[in-house]
Amino acid sequence: MSQAHPVPPPSAEPDHNPREKLGRLPPAALSSYDEFMGTGSEQALGVLVVEVLKYCLAKNLDQKADVRWVEDARLVEDLGFDSLATIETVFFFEDLFHISVSNEEIAKVKTLGDLRQFVRGKLEAGKA
Amino acid sequence: MPRAVITGVGFITSIGNSRTDVERSLRELRHGFKNVEFLGNPRIAVRVVGAVEGFATDSPNWRDWTYPERYRFAPEALRSVSPHGLYALCACEQALEDARLGAADLSDGETGLFCASAGSPFLFHHHLRQLEEARGERGSPMGMVSSIAGTLNFNLAAHYHIRGAVCGFVSACASSSHALGYAIDEVRLGRQKRVLVVGAEETHAETVLPFAAMRALSVNPDPGSASRPFDRRRDGFVSSGGAAVMVVEEAGQAAERRAPVYAELAGWGQAGDGHNVALSHPEGAGLAQAMRRALRDAQTPPEGIDYVNAHATSTPMGDRSEAAALRAVFGAGGGPAISSTKALTGHALSMAGVLEAAICALAVRDGFVPGCAHLEEPDPACDGLRLPLATVEGRPRAVLNNSSGFGGSNVCHVLKAFSA
Repeated sequence: MSQAHPVPPPSAEPDHNPREKLGRLPPAALSSYDEFMGTGSEQALGVLVVEVLKYCLAKNLDQKADVRWVEDARLVEDLGFDSLATIETVFFFEDLFHISVSNEEIAKVKTLGDLRQFVRGKLEAGKA
Repeated sequence: MPRAVITGVGFITSIGNSRTDVERSLRELRHGFKNVEFLGNPRIAVRVVGAVEGFATDSPNWRDWTYPERYRFAPEALRSVSPHGLYALCACEQALEDARLGAADLSDGETGLFCASAGSPFLFHHHLRQLEEARGERGSPMGMVSSIAGTLNFNLAAHYHIRGAVCGFVSACASSSHALGYAIDEVRLGRQKRVLVVGAEETHAETVLPFAAMRALSVNPDPGSASRPFDRRRDGFVSSGGAAVMVVEEAGQAAERRAPVYAELAGWGQAGDGHNVALSHPEGAGLAQAMRRALRDAQTPPEGIDYVNAHATSTPMGDRSEAAALRAVFGAGGGPAISSTKALTGHALSMAGVLEAAICALAVRDGFVPGCAHLEEPDPACDGLRLPLATVEGRPRAVLNNSSGFGGSNVCHVLKAFSA
């Protein structure tokens, strides 16, 4: 399916000083970011995605004690994201990696795994 | 016609974060000013501010903020507010508890919400800079709702599930006075059973310093005398922020709920100067007319007013103009006691009107009139006006609350001791 509004390639390199943006998250966020940027580790990206999701989730986590941060966890139904929190998460990745995400692309991201793969795909597209 | 009464107040201010602290500061004429160095720049001449205590909101990221422990808000409530939105949430909690209202009472469709703030120049600037740095390609999704004018009503209406009238008011330093005036009408016209009136502002550099650019701020570095309305040596206002909230309710409804009543909101009036974008009319023409209209609406002769909470911000021209207006309405000599509590609180901009109306409510309920703090050499322009230096004990029968904003927008309210 072709995109109605193709997103132009990012205009800048990924953030070279991510410490400011990741500094408020648990240390695992920054270390997994460093590992992912160094090695491209899928697992490290997975850890980063979960930490960012936890950060952007607006609900009190203790209100949803049964939250499971697994690949097929659905952002809205399982994790309690509303559309603003979803857009905020996307913005966090846009800002961290200097990528641009279209509305159509956001609509396709339903699960935690979708988001991880999506971020990876975006970065690879940026390198191409 | 239904009557409008005040059943709750809430304060996050430079002179206290509760009704009791605010009242003590007013009675004892304790000011809320401290020295500050804006933007870490010692060359900035403005050195005094009326900031709230107990909050840390210097970061544009709400996750970094701290606020008094007695309040707890879910991330959902904080992610889309600016610092003054947080102050407003806290003041709302106080006012609702004071008025003995619960969450369910607010979403009955009979409760409205009228707000006033300048938005958050601090946060708006942060978001625009972020957008600019990304060359317009991306920005925070919370940028708009957290920082534009209207941010208070967007957030509070969502948080409290308000299904009645929701509106924001923009008339600079008369904004929350307009909000209160129209809240009175909404209740008297039978359109709403109650309206929450909220005013809030920030004291971040982005809110304050544009007024320095207009030469409107005091450059007196002494917190004990920088704000001295009606004094001959006054040289500008001192900025202040925080939040003030008032619950305006239909009298019968308040009685039914057995809610204690502070005072009746007996009337209000407004009039424009038709004169200048920023400066007051030299004779206070619009303000005098607004006072007369408020008195007529409240069916109260000038002799019936025991206290006027003046708008007087401590600017040379504004105070002179208000003095002329007060003389035009009340005559010279023997009129009501007059003071501007901005000598203690500072000038809270959009929030000033509802803050000072709430101060008037305390005065009427608890029986005192705050004196003119920091007034040592009354300006001869105030000749004939009664400016008590010390707090006067005794319950005023009726009080007048004055406000003026840019463009010569003048709004006045009359509050009366309530009898059913």
